[in-house]
Amino acid sequence: MTDIVENSPNSTGAISSPSMLWRYRDLVRNLVAKEIKVRYMGAALGFIWSLVNPLVVTLMYLVIFTYVFPSTQPHYALFMVTGIVHWTLFNQVTNQSCEILVQNAGLLKKIYFPRLLVPLSSVLVNLTLWSAALAVYLVFFPMLGGHFSWVLLTYPFYLLLFFLFVWGVGMILATLYVDFRDIKHLVEVSLQVLFWATPIIYQLDRVPVRFRHVLLLSPLAEFTVVFQSIFYDNRAPSLTITIAFMTWTITVVSVGLWFFNKRVPELVERL
Amino acid sequence: MRSISYHKDDVIVVDRVSKSFKLRHNRVESLKGRFVGVFKRRWRQKTESFHALEEVSLQVRRGDALALMGSNGSGKSTLLQIIAGILRPNAGRVLVQGRVAPLIELGVGFHPELTGEENIYLNASLYGFRNHEIRARLAKIVEFSELGHFIDTPVKNYSSGMYMRLGFSIAVHLEPEILLADEILAVGDAAFQEKCHVRVAEMQKDGMTLILVSHNLDQVSKYCTKFVRLDKGQVAETGTLENIVKAGRQKN
Repeated sequence: MTDIVENSPNSTGAISSPSMLWRYRDLVRNLVAKEIKVRYMGAALGFIWSLVNPLVVTLMYLVIFTYVFPSTQPHYALFMVTGIVHWTLFNQVTNQSCEILVQNAGLLKKIYFPRLLVPLSSVLVNLTLWSAALAVYLVFFPMLGGHFSWVLLTYPFYLLLFFLFVWGVGMILATLYVDFRDIKHLVEVSLQVLFWATPIIYQLDRVPVRFRHVLLLSPLAEFTVVFQSIFYDNRAPSLTITIAFMTWTITVVSVGLWFFNKRVPELVERL
Repeated sequence: MRSISYHKDDVIVVDRVSKSFKLRHNRVESLKGRFVGVFKRRWRQKTESFHALEEVSLQVRRGDALALMGSNGSGKSTLLQIIAGILRPNAGRVLVQGRVAPLIELGVGFHPELTGEENIYLNASLYGFRNHEIRARLAKIVEFSELGHFIDTPVKNYSSGMYMRLGFSIAVHLEPEILLADEILAVGDAAFQEKCHVRVAEMQKDGMTLILVSHNLDQVSKYCTKFVRLDKGQVAETGTLENIVKAGRQKN
């Protein structure tokens, strides 16, 4: 006997129960594979291009802070690269999230499948490409003065939090974009500001004390400090920052899921 | 209000379903536009409600073949989309029991740059299929589509007939318990259409329920035994097929 699916103004059953999502796992796999294949189709270097952007950015800053404004900080390259690698993931996902519902209108309007899989597969595409950047980073890690120690074992936990946070942001942006097309441009500008408002290429200690606390309210500053602590300071992130970061992640993912699920059935009509 | 009585063999119950769309004239999507709209009437977004469906009720038993008929804009496609779960009704409810394959368009999700075979996996997984289930059906799908060695060519190089044949072939090999088709059972040349007819009839014999949206009487009489005619979003007429053929002849 198969389940009865209800479609009514208040039904939530069809939206995305975990078992439903799980049944569609191969769809996620196929969507991710398609996107990666299509995105770099015809380019001789293929997905290596996904590494070029973070690499160029890193080299640029490295040149500036080695020759133009020499940094006195030991192992500055390691410090900076740690921030930039993680920023790249956030940057790419937020940049691309806005348009995912509109881009997938053809699917969403013609067939029912758990809608949540659209932002999920989009973020997984970015994560897959980004993992290549992470691999390159880990290869260079000891050369830049990093130490492999037990602290690195905490990394997967924080990476998971970071991933969920980014996914949550993506769902919120994708939902908003359908009605407010300005969001995309706003995001582009905000990302520039946020990059400099995050202690990626400068240390948090260099910020005047009174601004430091304000800065640390930003989830982006928090995860940057967390990852610098793990890779650069070789120290497990403090409990305070872990709790602050977890609070941000849980809030953003819950708001994202709620908002996306609440709005999406109606948004499909307007795509 | 009359409550609908359920029968244990009902696989689809549409219970007083209403659906309205907001028609936006002069659609304003930007923040600037919204802001200016506060001061200037010309910039303001005007909305109007359009009632696509009003209190539509119907029941479909397992193995039934129902034709949804009506002129353009009568709400048939909207009803099909609600049964498929793509749109959500404003009032009423739809209960569906069994695996549904909505065929609102053939080859949903096909990407022009991917090969026919890659698109088979993509399209079938949109219907909730696992890749290993698709692999098991792959040979049959390719054979039915008559694409032969074109199956590993990018879909962008297909003729429209090849594209439709592939889309149709996937749909009929997913063994749906309920097939919702929106005017797409007439695909390809006469020979292929006949093949489609045989295949769908075969599936119906195995107990598949069919809802076919069409205003083509010939097509309807080929597949369906019952019909519901919608007019301006309401059920105007229901009956068995002989009546509709008669009614159609009278019209002509």
